[in-house]
Amino acid sequence: MKCDEYDVVIVGSGIAGSVMAKTLTRAGKKVLLLEAGLQAGIAMDKEGAYQNYQFYLDTYYKAAAKVPNSPYPNLPDAPSPDVLDIAPIPNSCSPSTKGYLVQAGPIPFASDCYRGPGGTTLHWLGSTPRMLPNDFQMQTKYGVAVDWPFTYYDLMPYYEMAENEIGIAGDVKEQIGPDVEPVKNYGKDYVFPMQKIPQSYLDQTIIEITNGKTVTVELNKKEYTISYVATPQGRNSIPEPAYKYAGVAWNKKTQKLELEKTDAEYDPVGSLWDPYTGQRCEGNSSCVPICPVQAKYNALKTLRTADHDNLDIITQAVASQVLYDKGSMDITGIEYKKYRYGNSPIYEKGIAKGKIYVLAASAIENAKLLLASGIANSSDQVGRNLMDHMVMLTWGLLPKKGFPYRGPGSTTNIPTFRDGDFRKEHAAWISPIDNWGWAWPTFAPGSDVSNAVGQGMFGKQLRDHLSDIIPRQLLLHFECEQLPEPGNRVTIDPRYKDQLGNYRPVIHYNASEYMQRSFEAAKKVSDQLYKAYNVQDFTSYSAQNPDHVQYKGKVYNFAGAGHIVGTHRMGSDSNSSVVNPDQRTWDHGNLYLVGCGNMPTLGTSNPTLTMTALTYKAAEAILKQLEN
Amino acid sequence: MNTNNHATFLTISAYLTGFSETDLLGTGMVDPYYAAIRDNNDPEVLGYFYQEAATILADSHGDEAEINEAIAARLIPDSCYNGIAKTIILLWYTGNYGNDVLSTDSYKEALVWNVAGAHPPGAKQPGYGSWALPPFSV
Repeated sequence: MKCDEYDVVIVGSGIAGSVMAKTLTRAGKKVLLLEAGLQAGIAMDKEGAYQNYQFYLDTYYKAAAKVPNSPYPNLPDAPSPDVLDIAPIPNSCSPSTKGYLVQAGPIPFASDCYRGPGGTTLHWLGSTPRMLPNDFQMQTKYGVAVDWPFTYYDLMPYYEMAENEIGIAGDVKEQIGPDVEPVKNYGKDYVFPMQKIPQSYLDQTIIEITNGKTVTVELNKKEYTISYVATPQGRNSIPEPAYKYAGVAWNKKTQKLELEKTDAEYDPVGSLWDPYTGQRCEGNSSCVPICPVQAKYNALKTLRTADHDNLDIITQAVASQVLYDKGSMDITGIEYKKYRYGNSPIYEKGIAKGKIYVLAASAIENAKLLLASGIANSSDQVGRNLMDHMVMLTWGLLPKKGFPYRGPGSTTNIPTFRDGDFRKEHAAWISPIDNWGWAWPTFAPGSDVSNAVGQGMFGKQLRDHLSDIIPRQLLLHFECEQLPEPGNRVTIDPRYKDQLGNYRPVIHYNASEYMQRSFEAAKKVSDQLYKAYNVQDFTSYSAQNPDHVQYKGKVYNFAGAGHIVGTHRMGSDSNSSVVNPDQRTWDHGNLYLVGCGNMPTLGTSNPTLTMTALTYKAAEAILKQLEN
Repeated sequence: MNTNNHATFLTISAYLTGFSETDLLGTGMVDPYYAAIRDNNDPEVLGYFYQEAATILADSHGDEAEINEAIAARLIPDSCYNGIAKTIILLWYTGNYGNDVLSTDSYKEALVWNVAGAHPPGAKQPGYGSWALPPFSV
C-alpha cells in the first residue's frame, strides 16, 4: 500500500494494537503499524510462521529457567523486562539496573511483559474472567481508589466483542460469586463461543475432598462460604452450538461497532500455520510461556485476519518520540528508529504520519514514550498509578494424589473474596487453583529431585518418594488487587537509556498497608482452607526474597501476575486522568492510548479481556472521529 | 566407545534411578547421557567410578539389596568420584547436566515427568480433556 499519510498509525502489535488494526482496516481505513520486535516474529505466511514458532519452542525446551519470556528473543534494541532480573534494591539512590527495568524500589516491581510481535499474549495464561460491576465503583462503594467514568453495563457490549475475538471457552451459567449472577452480569441467554475447558482432576480432587461438606472460613469475624468456578479462558475447546456471532463489524449507519449474527457454528481458530492444528487445547501444560499448538489465543491470530490491503507493517521499528504542533497541540508524527538486526546499534530514523495516532505499546512503554515526548501530561498522571496483582502464593501437600502438572495453568478459581465490604480495609483477591504443582514458588519438580538426591536418595526409594510427593502438590494463588497510588510509577531519567538511545523505564514501587493487610487476611484464609482440605502446609516466606513485606512482624512474599495496568488512567475529567472515556488523550485531539494503562482500577480479573473490550470502545470512537 | 563402561553405565543407571534398563533404553538417551558423562568428567576419576560400579554389580550377583547397600556406601557419598553417581541420577530425572538442559530430547525424556504421572510441559501432550482424568499410567 505505502502511502505518505495513513488514516491511523498504531504503535505495537500486541492484542490492543492488533484488535485496533483489524477493526480499522476492515472498516476500510488505511493503517500503518509500527512493531519494535523482529521481522521474523510477524510472519503471516504458513512456512514463516511455523519456522519462527518452532524456534521459540526449541528455545523454551533448552531454557534452564522456563520463565514467561524464556522462549522469546530479548533484544538490546527493544529489550523486554524479565522476572529473572528481579534483584534486591540497596537503596533509592542506587536502583537495581540488572535488567531492562531500572528498579528504584523500595520493592522491585515483580512482573514482566514481552516486547515483540503479538506482545504478551504469546506468554499469557489465557484466563478471562470479566471484572465485576462493583470494580467500576470503588470510590462510591468502598471509599477507596477511583470510579471508572462509566459502568460495567456500559462496557458489556464490548466485552462480548472481546470474547468473540479471543474465542472464550466457558460456561456462563457457572459464573457465580460475590457480585456475579449469570443473567445480571452476562445478560439473558448469553453464551461463550466455546464450551468450558474441563476442570482438572486436581480441581475435582479439591472440590470433593470434603465429601460434599461446604467449606466455610472466617475473616474479620464474618463467615464466608467457599465456592468454585470454572474459569473462562481464551483457549480452544468444543464449539458452543447456541453461540451465534460471527465477528465485529463497523456499522456506518449507526456509527457503532456491532457483533454480526450468523447461523454457522463457531469455528475455533487454529494455529497460524495450519487451521487444523490447535482447534482444541491438547493439554501441553505449558500455556505460560508457550502453547506449542496455538490452541491458546495470541494476538497474531487477530493481526492475520486484518484487511492486509489496508495495512502496512514496519517491524524492527522502535517508536522513540511522538511529535506535536505546539500551537494546535495535534500530533504530527511518530519518530521511530529502525534497526538492522536484533543486536545492531545501527538504525535509521523514520517518521510515521497519520490523521490519528494510537499508542498500544504496553502500559510501561506507553507511559515511557509519553514522558520521553513531553506530551499528554497536563494532569501529571502519566506513568503514575502503576498496578499489578500482588500474588501471594501458598503451597502444601494434599492427603491424596491430585496429579498436577497436567492441563492449562488453572481451570478453577475460588471467587469468594473478589468483592465485599472488606475492600474498605484491604484488597480483594481471586484465588486460582494452580494446576502446575509447586513449579512457581519452588521450581518443582526439578527441585524435588535435587533435594531428594542431595539427601542421598537413589533407585526405587527415590522413585517412590517422588511419585508420592509430586502428585500431591497443591498451589493456591491469592491475587490481591493493588489500588492506584501516585507514588507507584514509571519515570524516565537521562542516565538510563538503551542501546538505541531510548529511555529505559525507571520503576518506583511499593506495597501499601492496604496490600499488606490483604496478605495477612489471605494467609488466614489459606490456613483455614488447608485445615479443611487436610493439606500439609509447606509455604515458606523469606526476607531474602527481594519481593517481600513485613507486616505485624511477619514476612510475606508476593510475585507479580504480569497484570501491568494503570499508567495512563482513564477518567471523566482532564485534571485527574490522561485519557477520556473514549481513550483519547485530553491534551491531544488525535492521540489515543489503548491497553491496560487506561484502567483506572484493576479489580480481581486478569486484565486482558477488559482491556480488549476497552480497545473496541476506542476503535469505535476513532472510526467516528475519522468519519465526521 | 568403551563397551564395558557403556554396559556398566546402563546397568548402574537402572539401579541409581529405579527404572529398568528397558525403560532407560526406551528413552533413547543412553548414548547421549553416556557421552555427556564421558565428556564432562576427569577420565581417570571416571575410570575408577566405572571400575567400582562394575565391581559392585559383579560381587553381588544380582542381589538387589546388596547392590543398593554398596551403592549407598561406595558411590553416593559426595567424597566418591566427584559425585558422578548423583550427576547421573539428576541427568536421567531432569535432563539437565548441572544447570544446563542437555538437549531438547533430554528435556522431553526427563524421568521426573513419568514419576509425576505427567508429561514434560510443552511436549508429549496427552490430548484434549486428559487433565480431567487420572493419568493414563495410574
